[in-house]
Formats: sequence, structure tokens, C-alpha cells
Amino acid sequence: MEGLLESTSLIRRAYWLVGLRWVAIVSLAVATFVAQRFLHVHLPATSLYAIAGILLAYNFVLYDLLRYWTRGGKEASPGRVGSIITFQISADLLILSTILHFSGGIENPFAFFFVFHMIIASILCSKLQSYLQATLAVFLFGAVASLEALGWMHHYDLVGFAGHGLYTYPVFVFGFLFVFAVTLYLVVYMTTSIVAQLRLRQEGYERANALLQERQRTCELANSQLQEKDKLKNEYVLRVTHDIKGHLAAIQSTLDVVLGGMLGPISEKNKDFVGRAHRRTIKCLEFISALLKLTRMKLTGRLAAEPFSLRDCLLNALTLTQNRARDKAITVTHRIDASIETITGEAVLIEETITNILFNAVKYTPEGGKVSLEAKDEGHTVRVTVSDSGIGIPEEAVLHIFEEFYRAENARAAERDGTGLGLAFAKQVVERHGGRIWGKNNPTDGSTFSFTLPKATSRGQ
Amino acid sequence: MAQGRILIIDDDPDITEAMTVVLENRGYEVAGAADGSEGMEQLKANRPDVIILDVMMRTRQEGFELSRELKTNPDYKDIPILMLTAVKEKTGLDFKPTAGDESWLPVEEFLDKPVKPDVLLEKVQSLLQKR
Repeated sequence: MEGLLESTSLIRRAYWLVGLRWVAIVSLAVATFVAQRFLHVHLPATSLYAIAGILLAYNFVLYDLLRYWTRGGKEASPGRVGSIITFQISADLLILSTILHFSGGIENPFAFFFVFHMIIASILCSKLQSYLQATLAVFLFGAVASLEALGWMHHYDLVGFAGHGLYTYPVFVFGFLFVFAVTLYLVVYMTTSIVAQLRLRQEGYERANALLQERQRTCELANSQLQEKDKLKNEYVLRVTHDIKGHLAAIQSTLDVVLGGMLGPISEKNKDFVGRAHRRTIKCLEFISALLKLTRMKLTGRLAAEPFSLRDCLLNALTLTQNRARDKAITVTHRIDASIETITGEAVLIEETITNILFNAVKYTPEGGKVSLEAKDEGHTVRVTVSDSGIGIPEEAVLHIFEEFYRAENARAAERDGTGLGLAFAKQVVERHGGRIWGKNNPTDGSTFSFTLPKATSRGQ
Repeated sequence: MAQGRILIIDDDPDITEAMTVVLENRGYEVAGAADGSEGMEQLKANRPDVIILDVMMRTRQEGFELSRELKTNPDYKDIPILMLTAVKEKTGLDFKPTAGDESWLPVEEFLDKPVKPDVLLEKVQSLLQKR
């Protein structure tokens, strides 16, 4: 029914009426035939079949007219179709009255069929038009009943169905017509109310829908502007860090010369202070290099993905880690599934990511602790997990550790130097490969960082 | 004392001088040039045994272009080149060139700036021995 409301074109409603009429014509013919043949009711069958024939021709004309107006997919003028709908309903009321006249008038219970017309009018037409149609129906049927009762018009007896002469009883005729009129007006009132509510609701949906689409467009625009600004920011960061790096490199190279005593001997006190400056320069360079690396990665559109040995990457990273772990007497163990070999991705990035995570584990694990690496084959993906017996992640930091420049309170306390960029870099790398990365605390001590990588990467972002 | 003539082509005079001190300390003879054209002049005037070339000078490409020019010139193609900040500049990563990369950038060694004195000396020495 919703389809017949405001959202559909008038023309579809007009077609709907024509469609209903085909059913009505067939029903009229069948009802006449059944009443006469099987129920042995006396009927002016010829007249009724003739009416069915006229109705058939009328419906064909209407159908062709509608087709003519909408040929080539063009939209018929709403005024035209609206008036043809009104005309059709009025004509149908006239035809029904005629049929009833030929089949017993007020004695024929098919008079209730006016109710259907009222419902149709209430759905398709305006409130006023619907009441006018109800008035027309009451007038037409009232005219048939009254004229027959008064004997001014011939009455066709339904011999074998209704009581003889009932149509002439004034109280019956008056009472019937009164109930008939009340019924029709009530039907129109109820149906138009329901339809009005439905229309209102549908308009609400449509407005909400339009609003949503508008919002979505605004969001998309804002999002693309944000992305553009983010790109500009990254390009800016890249330029600035690159320039700073040039200066830092020059500072370090000159300090190297002084500290190396290449310009002559320097006093211990001088050496101590120049050494401090030198170490700070190195830390600064590490930070700048990490920022450059991360920013470049964000600005690069695609991965240079190709098949490589993940096993070799893992073992290389482990070897580098062993050297650092030895100084702190940390035991590094590993378990790599035998089936883990070649995957697709950018090998250098992945090796650096694994190294970052392993170095972190060593950095934040006290002397004599344990670090373990596990690589599991999970079918389409590989899961790499690094566990340590270190300081763990504070509750409030768990959600932030992958953010740029973020360093947890305890991490700062344990290790003053650190860029806060290592895990942000790892996240970029893993997500670019279509994987996931996360970190959590172990039940007893330390933390566990895991990431997944699809064996075949085709993602460019 | 090590023997050899080194030409440093870099537009950062502080870095050039710092490297000069490091290399001269080891006994090498060092000349500096601030850009590509000055570098070519130096090359013609006094042929070096090793060239240390900065990839990014006045333009992003100057170092790359100069290295290609030298490697296609029959007179100079045998002089080994140590390129500074080469691959790292391009991809943001520190890795050794693979076999396929040598046609892309015809230099013998890559190093990221800043170069530690002992690493610089080691690379220069190995390039001189390769000759």
C-alpha cells in the first residue's frame, strides 16, 4: 500500500485501478453465470453480460489512453492523470449502480461493493474528493432504490433469492439507505485518516532520508578535506625534519672530529661536555630519523610488496636483539612454526617492525628477565607474538601506546630516551599490509605484543 | 699512513670540513667541492681515487645526475663513488643495494648521514682496495 502513496507516480495508481477493473469484469461475468446456472436465481443475464462487455471495452480504452500518455517513458501530466482517476471512480460508481439496478436493486447484497470503491477513492484521492465520491455513491444508489420503490423505474426481481416486494417497503428502503450512507462516510473517514497518517510517516521517512544523505555528503567532504590537510601536514613535517636532520648531521660530524682528538688533544672536562652534546645529538637524530621514516611512510601511497622469507626476517631481528639482551642478561627464546616461510610484503618494513617490538621488549625488561618470540601459522595469516617479563603497560596507556609521540608513564621512568614513534611505525606497517596489531599485559608480569600479517598482501593502503 | 686522493662533493661546508679532517688525519689527500660543476672542475684538474658524493645538493637530483654522468664517462667510470644518504632518502630505509639496484644508481657504496669517522675510513679504505 505504501507504494500507492505519495512516492509513486499518479500514473501507477491509474494503472492499478485499470488492473482491479479487469478482475471486476471477470467477477461480474462469473457471478452472473453462477447465480443463474447453479443458484437458479432469475436474472436479466443478457443485460449483465452486455454491461460486462461495455466495461471491458471501456477498460481497454483507458488502458490504451494511459499507455499513449506515457509512451517512451515520459511522465504524463499529473493534472491529466489525476482527473482520469477521479473520472474512473465516478464512472465505476455509475456502472455499479447500473449493475445493481439490473440485478435486484436494493435487494442485492452486492451493494456492499460500494465500500471497496470508497476505500480506493480514499487511498487515491484527496479527502474532499473521497467524501464527494461517497456522496455520489449514496445519491446514485439512493436514486436506484427510490425510483424502483416508487415504481418510476423497472425493478428486476431476484426470484429465488430475495423476498418478494421487499424493495417497496418504505421503512426497509429508508433504513437500508441510511445505514448504507453512514457506512460509506465512515469508511471514507477511517480510510482517509489511516492513509493521511501513512503519508505523513512516509514523508517523515523521506525527509529523514534526505537529511541523512545530506549529512553523509557533508561528512565525506569534511573527511576528504581532513585527509588533504593531513597530507599537507605530513609534507610540512617531512620538509622540516629533513632540514633539521641536515644540521644535526653536520653537528655530529663536527663533534666526532673534536671528540676523536683529530684537531689535537682536549682536556677530560672538555671531552666530557662535548661528549654530552654528542650523545644528545645522537638521540635527537634518532628521533628525527624515526619521524622522517614514519612521515615518509604515511605519504607513500603503495607498498613495494614482493615475496620474501618471513623466517629470515624473524631470525635477523632475533640476532640483533640477542646482542642487546646479552648486556642485560635477558634470555631470548623463540618458537617459529615449521610451515612459516615465504609471505608477500615489504621485507625491510616488516623486519624493522619485528626489531622495534623486540627491542622494546628488551628495553623495558629488567636485568635477568625473559623475552620470547612466537610465530604461528594461522592459515591465511601469520601471527607474531612477543612476550616479556618487563614493566607492563599501565591501565590508562593500553589504548594509547600506538599513538604517535605517546609514551607511558612507566616507560618514561624506566627509559628517559625514546621517540614514542616506534609502535606508531609498527602499526602503520602492519595495517598497510592488511594486518592487525595490539598489546596487552600478561596475567603475572610483563606485556605481550602481537600482530598478524596476511600471507598474500595486495593492499596498497 | 694511507695513500690516496679523495674528492668530497657536498654543499654542506661543515660536513665537508669535518670529513676532510677525519680523512687527512688518516693521511689521505682531500679536496672539496660545493656543487656538481665545481666537482667536475676538480676532477679534471686533479683526478681523485675515490669520490664522496652527497645525493641532495642544490636540487634533489644533483647527486644522482652527477653519479650517472661520471659512470657513463669512460674517463671517470672507474673512480669508485661513495654516496651519502642515497637509498634512505628514497625509501626512508636503511638497506644495502641489491644486485638489481646497481643499474638504477651506479655507485659503489651508500651511507646515511651523519657518517661515523671509523665507518667513513673503513668504507674509503675498502673502495681504494677494490680499485
